[in-house]
Amino acid sequence: MVNDPIHQFRIFNLAGPWHIFGQDIAFTNSNLFMGIIVFVIVGFLLLASAKKAIVPGRLQSVGEMWYGLIHNMVENVLGEEGAPFFPLVFTLFSFVFVANMLGMVPYFFTVTSHAIVTITMALFVVGLVVVVGLWKHGLGWFKLFVPSGVPLLILPFISLIEIISFLSRPVSLGLRLFGNMLAGHIVLKVFAGFVVSLTAIGIGGWFGALAPMFMAVALTALEFLVAALQAFVFAILTCVYLNDALHTHH
Amino acid sequence: MAPQKDQKPPTDDKFGDISARLQDLDSRLAAEKKQTAKAENAPKQYQGVTDYSKGARLASEFVGGVLVGALVGYGLDYLFHTLPLFLIIFLLAGFGAGIVNMSRAGNRAVPTAEELAKMPKPHDDEDEDK
Repeated sequence: MVNDPIHQFRIFNLAGPWHIFGQDIAFTNSNLFMGIIVFVIVGFLLLASAKKAIVPGRLQSVGEMWYGLIHNMVENVLGEEGAPFFPLVFTLFSFVFVANMLGMVPYFFTVTSHAIVTITMALFVVGLVVVVGLWKHGLGWFKLFVPSGVPLLILPFISLIEIISFLSRPVSLGLRLFGNMLAGHIVLKVFAGFVVSLTAIGIGGWFGALAPMFMAVALTALEFLVAALQAFVFAILTCVYLNDALHTHH
Repeated sequence: MAPQKDQKPPTDDKFGDISARLQDLDSRLAAEKKQTAKAENAPKQYQGVTDYSKGARLASEFVGGVLVGALVGYGLDYLFHTLPLFLIIFLLAGFGAGIVNMSRAGNRAVPTAEELAKMPKPHDDEDEDK
């Protein structure tokens, strides 16, 4: 059980389950960590903005960089019209970022390593893209699926591909984050497991364990990079998709 | 960041209208700040995005297309009880969509500074079909 790389993703009930409208609703370890994530984000930002100094201290600097990073990105990708979407993008980025980072702490649960969490967020984003697109362009927004300049003969086929291409956005957006976190944590656990198994076979194993030990250390650094990067990629792709909805023209 | 407005413009016969000069300075500072921010900030912003993430993105785009195609096809078959028919059609279309996704993601993966400059025309990749 110690070396089982999948064990870390197990979800168990901390309280409940209660039956509400025929559904089993329980407070799981995933829920607990979502609560911790929100607590960390709100707590950190409140603490960082408590002083409101003109010359920021260390904590306030980090808070301002965090805010400024996403603000600049939204401004660059979406332009002036993107301002209403800044809170959403900032929330998504913060949640994913803190979830990934907390997942790197030993014995902590990684919320974003479950596809249902990431794909739900991605579905929400793409649902918003549909709503914004219809609201901005009316029914003309559906011309997105009918590219101009395509011969009439193959147009139905192209439209079908376009529609599937659009529908695959939430899946690929969520799958990417989920896949990166899942794969990274499994690989980390497997290499760490090698160390334990090799040291168990005696003095020769101690030296043999050095190689996977080194890999585990290097992979930990890589995982921190991936954790930050995937949060940013999730945020920037949210912006790119929203940009498609805001500025569709044919 | 907003330029502060003086409530009472202090005029001085020696230096002229100070508030007007202050506002002039403010606007010049703001203009310069904007320029330096554009020159320095934009390229730095997206340099951290590595080839690794681009590769991961391409893979997930393709898998997403195939997966959604298969799911839609299976769903239609489930509704109409025509099991292999729509699954085959939509799986093939899903492969096509995956390829389309990948080529689009390759063209505008995660926008770099140069790509951002020509961002306002998002769907120009479809003009290739002509």
